[in-house]
Amino acid sequence: MSHSKNENTFSRRFFIKTSSAFTALALVPHSIKAFYNDIKETYFTKKVVLPIYLKINGKDYNLNADSRTTLLDLLRENLNLTGTKKGCDHGQCGACTVHINGQRALSCLSLAAMMQGKEITTIEGLANGDNLHPMQEAFLEHDGYQCGYCTPGQIMSAVACVNEGHTKSIEEIKEYMSGNICRCGAYNGITNAIKSVAK
Amino acid sequence: MFEILKNKGRIEGIAKVTGKAKYSAEYALPNLAHGVIVGSTIPSGFITNINIEEAKQVPGVIDVLSYWNKPEVSTFDNPEKSKKIPAFHKYFHTTKINYSDQPVALVLADTLEDASYAATLLKIDYKTEDFNVNFHESLKDLELKPFKAERGNLEAWQNADYISENEYTIAMEVHNPMEMHATIAHWTAENKLSLYDKSQGVNGVQWNLGRFFDLPEENITVNSEFVGGGFGSGLMTWFNTVAASLGAKLIERPVKVGLTRPQMFTMVGYRPTSWQKVKIGANKDEKLLGVLHHAAHNQSKYNVYSRDLSGITSKVYAFENVKRFTGYSPLNLPIPTWMRGPGDSSGTFAVESAIDELCYKMNADPVDIRLNNIAPYSMDSGKPWSTHYLNECLERGAKEIGWDDRPNQPKQLKDGDWYTGYGVGVGLWNASRRNAGASIEMKRDGNIIVRTAMTDIGTGTGQAIVNMTHEFLGIPREKISIELGNSIHPKSVTQGGSWGLSSLSGAVDAASTALKRKLADYAWGKSEVTKLDAVILSDSGVAFINDQKKSVSYQDIFQKYNLNEIYVEEYSNAGGEEEKYAFCSSAAHFYKVKVNVVTGKVKMDRMVIVVDGGKIINPQAAANQIIGAAVGGVGMAMREKQEVDLASGRLIGSDFAGYHVTVNADVPIIEVSFINKPDYNRNPAGAKGLGEVGLLGSAPAITNAIYNAIGKRFTNLPVTPDMIV
Ligand code: FES
Ligand code: FES
Repeated sequence: MSHSKNENTFSRRFFIKTSSAFTALALVPHSIKAFYNDIKETYFTKKVVLPIYLKINGKDYNLNADSRTTLLDLLRENLNLTGTKKGCDHGQCGACTVHINGQRALSCLSLAAMMQGKEITTIEGLANGDNLHPMQEAFLEHDGYQCGYCTPGQIMSAVACVNEGHTKSIEEIKEYMSGNICRCGAYNGITNAIKSVAK
Repeated sequence: MFEILKNKGRIEGIAKVTGKAKYSAEYALPNLAHGVIVGSTIPSGFITNINIEEAKQVPGVIDVLSYWNKPEVSTFDNPEKSKKIPAFHKYFHTTKINYSDQPVALVLADTLEDASYAATLLKIDYKTEDFNVNFHESLKDLELKPFKAERGNLEAWQNADYISENEYTIAMEVHNPMEMHATIAHWTAENKLSLYDKSQGVNGVQWNLGRFFDLPEENITVNSEFVGGGFGSGLMTWFNTVAASLGAKLIERPVKVGLTRPQMFTMVGYRPTSWQKVKIGANKDEKLLGVLHHAAHNQSKYNVYSRDLSGITSKVYAFENVKRFTGYSPLNLPIPTWMRGPGDSSGTFAVESAIDELCYKMNADPVDIRLNNIAPYSMDSGKPWSTHYLNECLERGAKEIGWDDRPNQPKQLKDGDWYTGYGVGVGLWNASRRNAGASIEMKRDGNIIVRTAMTDIGTGTGQAIVNMTHEFLGIPREKISIELGNSIHPKSVTQGGSWGLSSLSGAVDAASTALKRKLADYAWGKSEVTKLDAVILSDSGVAFINDQKKSVSYQDIFQKYNLNEIYVEEYSNAGGEEEKYAFCSSAAHFYKVKVNVVTGKVKMDRMVIVVDGGKIINPQAAANQIIGAAVGGVGMAMREKQEVDLASGRLIGSDFAGYHVTVNADVPIIEVSFINKPDYNRNPAGAKGLGEVGLLGSAPAITNAIYNAIGKRFTNLPVTPDMIV
């Protein structure tokens, strides 16, 4: 196949495809607009409240949640479980880390409506009554915080990090904890706390 | 009140690790409405109309607050009073727009989802005007003015044996504490406002809101019990606090306004972009002779903040000749503010870089030249330093990092594509002390509560109060609890400027003395005891240090005088010591870096920091604070840069994906140690501030180390991999 022929084929196909798409657009603008409006109506403008069942810290919850509500806002705004923190709402900081079915996850990127039947653990559910989780003890012991705002997310991540087995060295801990920003920069304490629990 | 922590860590530690600590957005008030701030999309001009029809149709939306329907506030009927309100609290009282994302409306709704969605539906009409957001372009027309009196004579050193001269720029940096600023405003009565606010100083907020609403301060209460970091962003009272209060007034419901992360870049300050030119000279004997320092930074059109970058230049070293010029460019940008090491961290970068450059020219050792040129007294004031151990910081730091292994010339330590280098930088900050208050309440069982309005932004103020009270009184730590960060407690200066602990120690000491006095009077009769130093409080009673037999139990005292509690409240401030002495804290940063010349990666291999912060009250928290500041220094040197789009005047990449902060893997375990010698001239605790010196000197230590590794001198921050290769 010659070079020029190849090019021709491509452009012709491209032309046909695009022009038909444009034709389609020109012919049926109303239906697209209607479709768009439908989506807007159904999912955004109208508040859709969905029944959900989930387990948080071992407790059953049967709730009605706005379809737009994130798990993070469900915890903080609806259930007053404010231990889980909002640091960006964009999946960029780790402050909102919780465990969903035992795995660390960002609650700001998880819609509450998708948590149907899931088991959530938050910082409030980590201690066993008055007995702190060893990771919480370690954060106290190593001063793994300053302002404390990133701390619940750090601890939830840290517990998962140990379970995942990513704690073989200081470097590995640091790498696998780098999704949790601490703007106070308490990284020494955080890392040393995890190391002390991991061994 | 914090739980009493018996075994380890900070007094508020359990609250922090269990998620029980409540930050300002986390109080569940009944009938709470949510407010979302909408910012302008133009950097300059006027709003001509806001169409709220579509937004108001959203179920759950209560109202949209803006210029057109703001509630009546008597302050604005009185021209004199109205004039005193700063322009950046009056965004709902003007249609003028001076920067992009200037707040123009507050959408109020039952839920956050409703408010956030409705906020996207406002139709705002603008009349746009020309704007200027280009700082470096603006420098061309900027006339720099002399800063402070000239010291010595510029001509005296222009023919010095060695001269180095360079220009330095530092990108706009944004505090970005992890907790985003938020306010809950609740009018508990017609003229009574209760606020939960993210702030570094509750009394400042109280005062500002009192002025705004023309109310006596005591009608306003501000709670900032837990503050999720600040670094300076919580020093001013920002518009979110005003907006929430106005919103709550408008809809007669408590209102919560939380900023989004992108709004954290435009609504609560930042370190402005800066430019500097520094020329320094030295003679053959390695004596620094003189410095000529030009400096400028951007401002907002709302002219709120200016800070001289060259203030530090006359302080650290014994330059006999100092000449400085300074200037500020007001631009259509958000309002900058104090950010950790304000001014001085920028100035320090330039001066510490210039000295390093000079060392290579003269083949001098960067540690020796610093040691030999430390200002022997405060050359600004002529007063002797009260205490100043920068020399010891330098000596110890050099030893710990293994400075002798540092090659005198760059590019000597090579391993494949990786080059190793060593760098040093020093930081110095006024160790100041301001007004602070504290009260102590003792119960029958001998438990005490210490209270102050001062906040704890993560520095460990709470535990420091416990430690100091224990030391001053002798009462065991387990019997001491604290309450802080609330305007109902004794007034205190805002926490910032490295003066928090220094100021508070005076108040805690005074309150402790007052409590001892009271107890001694109850126990042994008035004026029986002349020397309170001889009195000690135990867990059960009051006694003489050398005569336990004379002890009287609290129980007996409370019983005899029929007391429910004993209460004392005291205030303190800096005193005559400032007539006699100059005060400073200092630090030496010794860093070892590995630089990959193919990928441009700079790896912080070791970071050694030695600090003179007077007596260390809580070693673990103090080290933590220094570590955190140095982590910020790594960001300043190699990551943090807020981009401004010159075409639209908008900030771009205003989130943690666009604006990179230092993460855990970016730094090694940082090695911090303290000289730990008290300065009792400064305050009764002997402590000097720590907050800034962990940052000052950090960035230049990095660029100096990079130079030592690869022989490239970087004068524009941040240094990114593309600049290295
Ligand atoms: S709040 Fe979820 S990652 Fe930042
Ligand atoms: S402790 Fe403040 S952000 Fe980590």
